[in-house]
Parts: sequence; C-alpha cells; structure tokens
Amino acid sequence: MSSDTKFHVHHDAPEVVGRRERLGVRILIVADGSFLFAMIFTYFYLRNLNVNDGWIPKGGHTFSAASGWMSILPLVVAAIVHKFGQRNIKQIGNFSIITLLAYLYGAYYQFHQMSNMPFIVKDTHAFEGSYASTWVLIAGANMFHYILAAFIALGLVIRARRASVDPTLEKWRMRTASSWFTWIAIAGVICAVTTSMI
Amino acid sequence: MTTLSQQVSNRPIPNPKKSLITRLNMGTGLIVGIAFALATYYSMQTTLDDATLNFQRNNQVLLATMFMWSIGFLVGIGAFIGPFRWLIGKDLTAEEQLYLAGDGQGIKRYFKYCTDHKVVGIQYLWGVIAMLAVGGSMAMMIRTQLAQPGAKFITPSIYNSLVGLHGITMIVAMIIVATGPFGNFIMPIMIGAADMAFPRLNALSWWVLFTAIPVLCSAWFLGGIPTGWTAYAPLSVQAGPGMNAFIATIIIFAVSTAVAGANITATVISMRAKGMTWNRVPIFVIGATISVALAVPAFPTFMVAMIQTAMDRTFLTGFFDSNVGGSGWLYAHLFWIMGHPEVYVILLPGVAILMEIVPVFVRKPLFSYTAAVVGFAGIAGLSVLVWAHHMYMSGWLPMLNGPFMVTTEMISIPTGLIFLVILGTLWNGKPWLKVPMLGVYAFLWNMLIGGITGLYLSDVPADNYLHGSMYVTAHFHYTLMGAALTGAVAGLSYWYPKMTGRMLNERAGYISFWFVQIGFQILYLGMFIAGAEGQPRRVSDYAQMYANSNRISTFGAYLIGTGFIVLLWAVIHSWRNGVIAPMNPWGAKTLEWTVPYPVPLVNFDTPPVVTSDPYGYGKAVK
Amino acid sequence: MSDHNDVHLEPTPGERFSKFLKRGDIRETLAWAAFYTAVFVVLGAYFYPKWMPTVMSTDMKAIERLMVVFTFISAPVCGFVMSIFTQTLRHRHKGDTPPPDGPMIRNNRLGVAVFSGVASLLTLTAVIYGLIELNSSAEAATKDAPNALVVEVTGNQWVWSFNYPSLGVESNMLNLPIDRPVIFRITSADVNHSFWPVQLGVKADANHLATTLAQTTPTKLGTIDVKCAELCGLYHAYMETSGEVMTVSDFNNWVTAQGGHSA
Repeated sequence: MSSDTKFHVHHDAPEVVGRRERLGVRILIVADGSFLFAMIFTYFYLRNLNVNDGWIPKGGHTFSAASGWMSILPLVVAAIVHKFGQRNIKQIGNFSIITLLAYLYGAYYQFHQMSNMPFIVKDTHAFEGSYASTWVLIAGANMFHYILAAFIALGLVIRARRASVDPTLEKWRMRTASSWFTWIAIAGVICAVTTSMI
Repeated sequence: MTTLSQQVSNRPIPNPKKSLITRLNMGTGLIVGIAFALATYYSMQTTLDDATLNFQRNNQVLLATMFMWSIGFLVGIGAFIGPFRWLIGKDLTAEEQLYLAGDGQGIKRYFKYCTDHKVVGIQYLWGVIAMLAVGGSMAMMIRTQLAQPGAKFITPSIYNSLVGLHGITMIVAMIIVATGPFGNFIMPIMIGAADMAFPRLNALSWWVLFTAIPVLCSAWFLGGIPTGWTAYAPLSVQAGPGMNAFIATIIIFAVSTAVAGANITATVISMRAKGMTWNRVPIFVIGATISVALAVPAFPTFMVAMIQTAMDRTFLTGFFDSNVGGSGWLYAHLFWIMGHPEVYVILLPGVAILMEIVPVFVRKPLFSYTAAVVGFAGIAGLSVLVWAHHMYMSGWLPMLNGPFMVTTEMISIPTGLIFLVILGTLWNGKPWLKVPMLGVYAFLWNMLIGGITGLYLSDVPADNYLHGSMYVTAHFHYTLMGAALTGAVAGLSYWYPKMTGRMLNERAGYISFWFVQIGFQILYLGMFIAGAEGQPRRVSDYAQMYANSNRISTFGAYLIGTGFIVLLWAVIHSWRNGVIAPMNPWGAKTLEWTVPYPVPLVNFDTPPVVTSDPYGYGKAVK
Repeated sequence: MSDHNDVHLEPTPGERFSKFLKRGDIRETLAWAAFYTAVFVVLGAYFYPKWMPTVMSTDMKAIERLMVVFTFISAPVCGFVMSIFTQTLRHRHKGDTPPPDGPMIRNNRLGVAVFSGVASLLTLTAVIYGLIELNSSAEAATKDAPNALVVEVTGNQWVWSFNYPSLGVESNMLNLPIDRPVIFRITSADVNHSFWPVQLGVKADANHLATTLAQTTPTKLGTIDVKCAELCGLYHAYMETSGEVMTVSDFNNWVTAQGGHSA
C-alpha cells in the first residue's frame, strides 16, 4: 500500500518523511522565534530604559512606521501566494515564480533601506542611538529571512520545471516550505508592529 | 499509475564512484576553508585605509575571515551538496545516500561528511575528549598560578584569557558531552530507529561545531580575551582582536546547537520503534531530549547578544554603550536568558545517564518513572524563569529580586524528585559497584553539595556576600563537573563496549575514578573556604590570608588532572587492546544491547517491537 | 477465611505506621538519617562563622545567620540522601556477575507524595525566611535614609574612589564612622565593576552612567577590605583598597585632616 520510496535511504513513505521534515522545520522555527524574541526584547528594553536619553537623541532620525511595513509586505504576499499555490498543485511552478519575485523584491527593498539609513553620524560613521542600533539588527534579520526564503522559492521554481520531479509526490515539500514561509511572514509582522512603536 | 519505485528505477542513476561526493573529505574541507579565509582576509585588508576606523575595520576583517573559513570548510567537505542538488531538482539518489552514510568505507568515513549517526557519535566523542583535554590543561595552569599568592607563573593578561577560554571551552564541551556522543550513537538505537531523522543535518551539526574549534583556538594568537566566558559588555566591546574569535565561536556553535537540537528532538518524537509509547521510552532519551529541546530556544538569545557585541565592535552601533543609549544590563539579560537554561542543558543528560545506569546495576526497576519525567520537565520549565538571579547585584531592578529568588528556590523541588528517583531505585538494592555505578554515588554527594550551596546563592541577602566570589565557582563546578561530567564519564564506561566493541580497562577506570573524585572534593572544599573568606573569583592573585585554602585547591586540581590522564590512557589503550566485550556485558534491557558490534548500518535487521519499558528487573514483591 | 477475620486483619493507619517503623531497613535508614542530619547541623553551625570574616555590619550579621539557618533547613535532606547512600553501600554486591534481582518496586505514591511535600515545605521555609530578611533590610534602609552618610563610590579601571559629598572629602580609602547608617551610591567610569566591602556584607555592581544603591550600618571597629567582584579587565585582581570603621571622633579627625568639614 504505502509506496516504498527509494529516494529515502531508509525507504520510508513520502508522507512519513514529510511529517518528520515539517516537525524539524517547526523546531527550527522555535529557534528562530527565540532569536526574534531576543530582538524584540532588545527593542523594548532599550526603548523603555532610554539610557542617557539615547534611544533617539535630540535631533535624531528615524524611519517611518510605514517603511517598516513596506519592507515586510512581500513576506506576507509571498506566504499567501504559496498557500494558494498549494491548493493548485499542478500550477505550483507559476505560483512559485510569484513567490520568488516577491522575496527578491523584498530583499532588494530591504537592502535599499539599509544602504540609506538616515541615522548614521556623517563623520564618525557611528549610529545615533539605540533605536538606530536595534533597527538595523531587525532589518538584518529580515534580510536573512528574505535570502533564505528566496533560495527555497527558487528551488520550488526549478523543481517544478523538471520532469524528474513529480509535483504530486512533492506535495509534502510544499507544505514544509509553507511552514517556513508562513512563519517568516508572522515574524515580519511582529517586527513591523514593533518598529511602528518608535 | 506507476508506483514510485518503478518511477525511481526508470530514472538514470549516476554512478557515485565517479561523482564529486566521493572526492570530498576533511582534507578538501581544510583546503577550501583556508582558501576562503585567506581570500577574505587579503581582499578586505587591501581596502583598510582609514586610520581612524582601524579598530572597527580590523574587527570586520577578522570576523569575516572566521565566518568565511567556516563556510569554506563546509563547502569543501560537501555539506552543501544536498541543498544544492535539491535546488536544481536532482535529488540525491539512494546509492549516493548510502555512500554518504559511509557504507563500506572503513576508517575513512570518520573524516568525511558522513551521515551515519554512529560515525557522528564517535566524531563527537573525540571532539569532546579533545576539548576537555584542552580545557582541563587550562584549568591546571590556572591552579598553578593560584598555588600561592604573588605567583609569577603567568601574566594577568594570560591569566584572564585562560579563565575565559577555560570557561567557554568547558561550557561548549559540557553541552555536547552527553548529547553528542551518546545522543547520536546510542540514542537512536535505544529507541529502535534506523538512523536520525535528518542524517545530513546530523553530519552538519558536527562539522559546523568542528569549524568552531580552530576559530576558538585562534583567540590565543589574537591576544586572548579579557572578559571571562560571560563576556560582559561593555568590557567585551572594548576588548582586543581576540574577542572576535570568541564571538565567532559562539555564533557558529549556536547554529550547530539549533541543528542538533532539532534533529534529536524530531528523531525521538517521530522515529521511535513500534510499541515504544511515551511511558516506555528509556529515561536517558527523555532527559537528553528535554535538554536539547531546551537548548533550541535558549541559544539564539546568546547568539543575538554576540551579534550585538559584534555590531558594536564593527559598525559602531550602541547596544551596550551607555553614551548612545545602550546598556550593559541588556547584555546581561540576553546572556542569562540563555545562561541559566544552559546549565540545565548540561546537567539533565548527565543525570539521565545515571538514571539509566542505576536500575541495571541494582537489578531493580527505575523508581517512579513519572517522578523522573516530572522532575526533568519541571526543571526545564522553571529554568527559563530564573535568569535574573545572576543579576541580583547588578542594580537593574532590585524590586524584582524577590520574585526571582522565589522561582529559583522552587527549582529545588523538581531537583528533589530527581534525587528521589535515584534513591528510590537504590533503596533496598544490592548495588554492583562497577565503574559506571560508582558514578551514581559520586553524583549523589556532589549534587547534594552543589544543590545546597545553590540554595544559599539563590537567596538575595546571602548572595550579597557570595556573588562573584570563589564560592560561586566552587558551587557551579560541583553541579557541572561533579554531577554532569561524572554522569558523562559513567556513561562512557557504560556504553564503551557498545561503541568500541571492547571493555574499558576496569582497573584504570577505578584508579581514575578515585583520583578524580577525591581530588575534586579537595579542590572545591578549598575553594568554598576561599569564597566564604571573601576571595573574588577570576583573580590572578590574592592576599596572604587565602593562601592555605588555595594551596589545598591546587593540590586537589593536580589529583584530578592525574585521574583524567589515567582515564584518557584507558580510553585509548582499551580501544585497541581491551577485552572483547560481549553483546550485553551489564545485562541491561534497553534496545542498544540487542545489536551486535559493529552495529549494522541500519542498526536492526528487523525493526524491533517494544512491549514494555526497559526496566523490568527484579522479582515481584507481595 | 471468614468475614470476621478479614475485618480483624485490616490494620488501622496508625498500626500500619508503627509496623512500618519497626521494619529493620526503615530503622536503619532513620538511624543513619538522624546521624547525618546531626553532622550537617554541627558542620553548618561551626564552619560558616569560622570561615566568614569578622562581622562588621548589620547586613553581615544577617548573612551569617542566614547561612547557618539554611544549612539547618537543608540538613534533613542531606541526612536522607546520605542515609540511603551509606545503607546501600553497606549491602553492596561483590563479584563479577550481576547481582541477584532486587524487589520490583516501581513506584510508591505515598512515598513520592511525602517526599515532595517535605521538600516543598523545606523550600518554602527557606523562601519565606529569605523574603523576610530581604524585607527587613529594605525597611531598615528606608528608616535609616534621612540621617545616613552618603558615600559616592566610583569604579575606574582599576581603582576605587570614594566621595563624601556632605563632607567635601574625596579619598581612595573607605573610612566610615561606627553605628551610623551609610548609603553607597555606586557608579563606574568605564566597564562594569562590583563594589564589595567584604566585612560589611554589601555588594553592588558599578555600571557606566547608572547609579546603584546599597546601604548598611557598620557595627564594629576594624579594617574593611574593598574588592572588585566583577571581572573588569587586566588588573581586576589588584582593584582593591581598604578602609576602616572608626569611632565618630576619629572619623571627624580624619575628615578634617583630608580638608573636609566635619558633619
């Protein structure tokens, strides 16, 4: 009944392997969640402590809340597109292209933001205050999410175009990817909510 | 519709004998890693022009070099072949996967990206032994310097580096000392699995960790670290180039821990043998799993703290610089949110090994399995709520000292359950005092002392006096070394026959045990006295009044050193010349003793079916 | 067997308990437990007062008392653990073959419940005792605050300096008048330090651009060793100074000699 899969060294069924991999991804999401927690903790700790009035020093610069939301919007779009793609597994390749483009655009947007940070003191290259420090940390983590997600989306695009990869058998890989895509979208929203409270 | 196996067999299978994966090993890893590192170093050096930014620039170059070494090594050893082949839609074939598992490659597979969990276990074992040897040698140098007041054996600068590097080397070694070798080699067999859930991630966790070792060693050539293993900011932000090695090590190690933790947890949850319900899982597996599952969320906060330190050092952010709105307290929080769960990450697997050993050597069932599980889970659960007891004196928010004192002292209740399980199993038994069993007794005494001194330290008024003194050092060595390391050494002598096919030299085992344990009591008795007398920790020199207690301590340290040298000799000698071990030398009932040596690639010829827990020893009582 | 006999054979809890106490193994355990408890009580009462330095303040007195009391609280636990430790070692199995099977005791709910209950009670005692001590030292601090002597302590790599703002004195020695409450306002000029006047039983970290508070009342004349208890770089070990708890007149003389105005 259950297909003996040669592609897995111990010949487990695809569904079993899929369940296991989703479990693994979810545990790694816990680790990433803890990373996120540490960043959010940093943000609010330094914001409320406001040591020496250094959160945003007098005359300091900030990003607007909207720009924070813009930088995570592609994460949300991609996650939703991927969900629809899962329902229409034959077309997953086309959906994955949209996902991939969204991630690439997001990465570009994030990079653009980071190379135009307003709060770097001109002559010393130092960051103005702890808001600036925390912002660049969160943006960097977001960038990491984009790059990793783009890699996965690229894989899905390529694999959907190869004859040797059967999308109906790959369903569990879509679900595994979906776990990660959904998580980074949630993480992105949490980051945007946080950075909205300047 | 064609079946999957037909589809697969229709596909052309590349011959792995000709493919890239057969050519890659540790050597290619070293070559590519060093090439990446050199390329990064020299290409970034040439752009080093602005003299005012030298400190930042230098840190950028060193950190980038270290990370590129790590990535280069992993590229060179073939860690990314799997993901890359997935990316381009040419998944690894069964034949290639068998090759990666080291099928029929003899000793060479230990130097390759080998996915067999037994190979990874042995790799971890030697990695841990090497780290403990290095960390132990540092401890000997520290104690030599402290043998008498005013000693000039080493300079204060080297002394501070020794203290920090001894600390971090030992912490890293102790985190993996049980879950590395035994969690990888023994644990999958114990639960009746053919392999780990993610074999390639398993190899990745080891080789990532491996790349951290040269990085950590490079701290010596970059001027050492002045901060101790806690690396408190702002001292760490101002520290010299050696600090980069520390930062890179922690970040690399955090990746390894997350990967290993996800792997072990997923394996235990999803790969148990048929019939192995949760109340039939061997207690070592429970303890090790709770430990790594606790490490998964704990380590990223340390990683964030280290990334922030690195950013302060390289890009002039101000996380820990009070002049621009940062705070050293932030570091302390992030560090200890990792730090306190982490000590239980170290302790639990060691205790769980001993719990696995007691029933076998007393021939009685494990007393109250439920209490053991509740104890482990209670410790793990509470451990995330106690971090600020390391910060009573920091002044961050004194009114929260009371609540943190309560949560901390609560931990003694689940710890009591752990004791109860071991004592209940011993109760009215006739223990067979083989080397592994001696470890149980050593644990009882050491953990008793470690636990009770922890009670004083958890109390805010008492901590007013004891915080930052030698008393703290003695306390946590009692728990981490006296309990956790004792458990790991007991586990080594217990599972040695299964891992090497030979018995560990018994006489050497006894000699080592007594040297280590007696030396241990002497060393830390001296240190408790020095701490109570008021000697701060991490000092390279001290006043005349502490001379006696320190002399006692140094004497004890040398005894421990002697004991471990004997053990190291025994491990190496018995590996080649030991008595051939029978399949089940201790008469234990867990599954790992039902497989022969060498353990077959898929562990079991026919997957085992479990019908009871492995503690059915003893005769029924009325 | 008749019903009558069955009823008769069912022992009351009290009878079961006294029968339990008459068992040889239980008696042995209890005897060892009592012995070890006594040993730990004696060691606790003797050693901490012996090891710890001269008590020179109210806080140090509380700390020393607390160490002794906590040892007493934990002594029964030590007694219990060491009792089974000793007892099983005395009955150890000798030989190269595994020992015979022991009794198959998988659980004992009553035993686990009693043990957990007692352990929780002991922990609770320790917690409550600690909270009371914490509270009383906080109360004393509030009460003493108005007439306290304020000392500003600054940690600097690698020296301590003390400023007495009300007296106009700056010094590298920590001199204090006896029996007058003192408030330390602690800060750092660079990295983290930890201010530790050993005999006063006070400790508080010195953080850059932040002030931490600590207070106590010196109660005994004598020398104070001041140390740094937080690794602060190269010469951390040598970041120490000393001071003295003086009589009020000696203290005033010292202040005048330093160019300050006496309080």
